[in-house]
Amino acid sequence: MAAVATGPVAVVTDASPAVLSLGDSARADAESSSLAPALNADPGATPQTPAASVPAVLARGLVKQFGARRGLDGVDLTLPAGAFLSIFGPNGAGKTTLLSILSLLSRPTRGSLALLGVDALEEPEALRARIGLISHRSMLYGDLTARENLAFFSSLYTGEPDEQRIDELLRLVELDHRRNDLVRTFSRGMQQRLSIARALVNDPALVLLDEPYSGLDPHAAELLDELIERVRPGRTLVMVSHDLAKGFDLCTHALILARSQVVAFVEKDTVDAAAFRDLYLATVGTGVA
Amino acid sequence: MEPHRASGFAQYRALLMKDIRQELRTREMLTSMVVYAVMVLTIYGAALAQVGDTVQVTAFAGGLLWALIIFTSLLGLNRSFAHETESGCLEGILLAPVERPVVFLAKATSNLIFLVAVELLAVPLFFLLFLSGAELASSVPMIILPLAVGTVGVAGVGTLLSTMVIDTRGRDVLLAILFIPVAFPLLYACVSATTIAFMGVEGTFDAFWTACAVAGAYDVIMVAAAWGLYEFVVSA
Repeated sequence: MAAVATGPVAVVTDASPAVLSLGDSARADAESSSLAPALNADPGATPQTPAASVPAVLARGLVKQFGARRGLDGVDLTLPAGAFLSIFGPNGAGKTTLLSILSLLSRPTRGSLALLGVDALEEPEALRARIGLISHRSMLYGDLTARENLAFFSSLYTGEPDEQRIDELLRLVELDHRRNDLVRTFSRGMQQRLSIARALVNDPALVLLDEPYSGLDPHAAELLDELIERVRPGRTLVMVSHDLAKGFDLCTHALILARSQVVAFVEKDTVDAAAFRDLYLATVGTGVA
Repeated sequence: MEPHRASGFAQYRALLMKDIRQELRTREMLTSMVVYAVMVLTIYGAALAQVGDTVQVTAFAGGLLWALIIFTSLLGLNRSFAHETESGCLEGILLAPVERPVVFLAKATSNLIFLVAVELLAVPLFFLLFLSGAELASSVPMIILPLAVGTVGVAGVGTLLSTMVIDTRGRDVLLAILFIPVAFPLLYACVSATTIAFMGVEGTFDAFWTACAVAGAYDVIMVAAAWGLYEFVVSA
């Protein structure tokens, strides 16, 4: 791997599989290639309360093959609990594929993955109850009301709808007054807010966001910013975004994917927005993907 | 503390009730199937009106009835996943800790309910229009048996295949292309059993029970296969 450090910014010039955790590379090395430390770190920790020392995401050598094409090519990732990771990259870089694997909707062809201290490939059922996904698609039924949608998804997790939590979530996303209205009558912004409530119905410890700002007007995007800030405490968030400025502003860690590989991974404290933009352009903007 | 997990039955019930509530609200699937069935019956009526009493309708009524049922079912099966794909709702379901076969069972059950609802209208109408004057050999239960066994198989196999074509271009055509060959043994058995039930030629009732047994075995095998394969199908 040819990594060129330029002040607080690291640039990987050959797009080889790499994880650069600036300012804390020693920790990344220590966590190296085995899932064992994460899985054994706190065997007594319940799924809802992972020990702080257990990484929320620990991926090693993730490969996803689509026929002859490789969607992901040896992705390594270590993300501490409570972090907010923004994933950037050009179209086709593998961002959505990575998010699909992290959400357990898709299995990697090779590699290992632990989420919240649990082996995601061995025990996906145990993990699904602790993961939420907010996508640019609402995953809501237009012909059901806001409350019916949340009640339905709540039932899949707990058997009976958790009415108290549904009420709380509708208030959180400021849709309490529209609870009995059909979702197809909602604006795109309102649907996205309800989609956040849907993703939180199981009180997930890991929340994945797939281009959540897509198609939102500035006001709706502002509301979404507020909501994300409100749901952030106590959770680990991973967001795929094309908006470099917004994504970097929200995150604690940032990852750049290109040609299905990680070309840079930085902690936000170690780099400012301008330097990160330069890093992005250096790794991606030169036509890497 | 581990949060309370929903049982498979509770999830099945939630999925099924969601489908029924949605259909009762929109009536998209039922309306399209009923309109199509009535249209087919009208065409049958126009065709048979030309031949008057010169042909014995009971000889091919089994085939006509199953053609009506199959093509009406295909129309409904194509619609059954429309709501799931429009806003990525199927992904929302798959994110939850739901065993994939439970998703299949719930969707197959809702499809079965909607098919039976349409048959409750279309089949009596078929009898009224084309077989009201005919002397049928069998009792009502013997006519209903192949219909019931066949409808279960159509709902089961149709649900599996409609999941497989969910993200394909031209899925309406693809479902029909896949469904007819895969369901051929079932359709052949059901048409045979229904025709025997109508005609009741001496010495053919053994063949009736054999056809029903073949259709029943097909149901068991295909529904079991669909149960086992569904995880793979929805993950692919």
